[in-house]
Amino acid sequence: MRSLVSAELLKLRSTRSAWIPLAAALALAVVAVLASTTAAGPDATPHLSPATLPGLLRGSGGQLLDGAVLLCWIVLSAGEFRHRTAVTTFLAEPNRLRVVSAKLIAAALTGAAVGLLAEALGAATSAAALSAHHVPLAWSQPGVLGAVTAVPLLAALFGMLGAGLGLLLRHTAAALGLALMWVFVIEGIIPALTHEPGIIRWLPEAAANAVLHGASPAATTLPAGAALAVLAGYAAVLAGAGAALTVRREIGTTTG
Amino acid sequence: MSTIAVEALTKRYGTVTAVSDLSFELAPGRITGFLGPNGAGKSTTIRLLLGLAAPTSGRATINGRPYRELRDPLRRIGALIDPNVFHPGRSGRTALRIAARPARIPGQRVEEVLELVGLGGAAHRRAGGYSQGMRQRLALAAALLGDPETLVLDEPANGLDPEGVHWLRGLLRGLAAEGRTVFVSSHLLAELAQTVDDVVLINHGRLVAAGPMGDLLGRAGAASLEGFFLDATSPDAPPAHPAPTRARSLS
Repeated sequence: MRSLVSAELLKLRSTRSAWIPLAAALALAVVAVLASTTAAGPDATPHLSPATLPGLLRGSGGQLLDGAVLLCWIVLSAGEFRHRTAVTTFLAEPNRLRVVSAKLIAAALTGAAVGLLAEALGAATSAAALSAHHVPLAWSQPGVLGAVTAVPLLAALFGMLGAGLGLLLRHTAAALGLALMWVFVIEGIIPALTHEPGIIRWLPEAAANAVLHGASPAATTLPAGAALAVLAGYAAVLAGAGAALTVRREIGTTTG
Repeated sequence: MSTIAVEALTKRYGTVTAVSDLSFELAPGRITGFLGPNGAGKSTTIRLLLGLAAPTSGRATINGRPYRELRDPLRRIGALIDPNVFHPGRSGRTALRIAARPARIPGQRVEEVLELVGLGGAAHRRAGGYSQGMRQRLALAAALLGDPETLVLDEPANGLDPEGVHWLRGLLRGLAAEGRTVFVSSHLLAELAQTVDDVVLINHGRLVAAGPMGDLLGRAGAASLEGFFLDATSPDAPPAHPAPTRARSLS
């Protein structure tokens, strides 16, 4: 399994359209902190204080980072069929469940690593920016550990969601389109369509927000632990469906 | 034991039967040409053999096991079934390194096969910029990565220039001389006639003829492989093997 995961990570490193979004998300992790701290000051709004730190760390991750990891693994997994590299992949390892497992592990590792790196960059930038504003750094406050834990966890799950979606649809543009439609349209209209406003808390984007920011006072979101479990459930369902179809489907070639 | 055995293999897509009750066996140290008109079922048979498609019934095995049950398949069987299976943004070297990694084939072997197929100087270039002949050579390099005892090659001469075809003929001869089984599908009958020892001919998914090329041509009174092929696949040709068909061992 280690060699299969290693092959998947080599595919990532050698596919520009997969790693450029990750690099961009890491750059934005720094920019997000700089933008927040440059616009703010001790006398301005928002007010910079030691309590600002967890928010800055959460801002280094969040939707952009999750979206980048999702995009990366959609490109990699659906791209196997677009470029027909699935042929060489399944000739080298005909046990397709092992290949799918390796992809999911590599996707989770990528998300966790990029999430940790984003938090490291966010922490370093936050320390420099807050120090420049003479704001004391309070690393031991509870929100810091929560952000540093939640960001890599979420990114790992979004990596698995991307890999599962790519395997399920096997069409890069369709998978990317569906992901964007989900974030910007579908998740927003589901409560209206179902006449169940409370259903939103069970949907992926809302669950991810709940993991990152905690439950809202109005109880419109799930507790962070439950939201994480819901998101893991979505990842498991997509990965399972992608795996089932990958095992059953035939692999075509251009020659017949 | 034969390296490749196809036993009563059948593949249906809805109402279309792509491969029907096909049986033949190949033995080591021989080059076997796999012939048939377009749509005869050659590529489907090869995909069934390599586990890329599942048979409706029957089975195809390599050393007694279906491809999907092989451990370390790249070291058992090398396959070239499509030159367009490489990511256009990756270099030839990286494409092979990715293919080699699951089988733990070292980087040194990647360099060896790149040199063997004449791509050593172009290995750093992106596969998307390769000519068809270069992609064909890269696919052949991928097939040779595990130094396998059996090779399955679907139209390996496509896109190769005359020098490349000459080189390929020598390579296949050399591989067979080392005792390997080489199974080659091609429409280039004049080229195949210079290369193969045995022939498996199919039409409409069914076996038409199988055996040593000289025997088949002699029995049919054909002067050339092309003549034999045209006679055996013409609509007026009598069935060479009444159903159910089973080729005798080609060993």
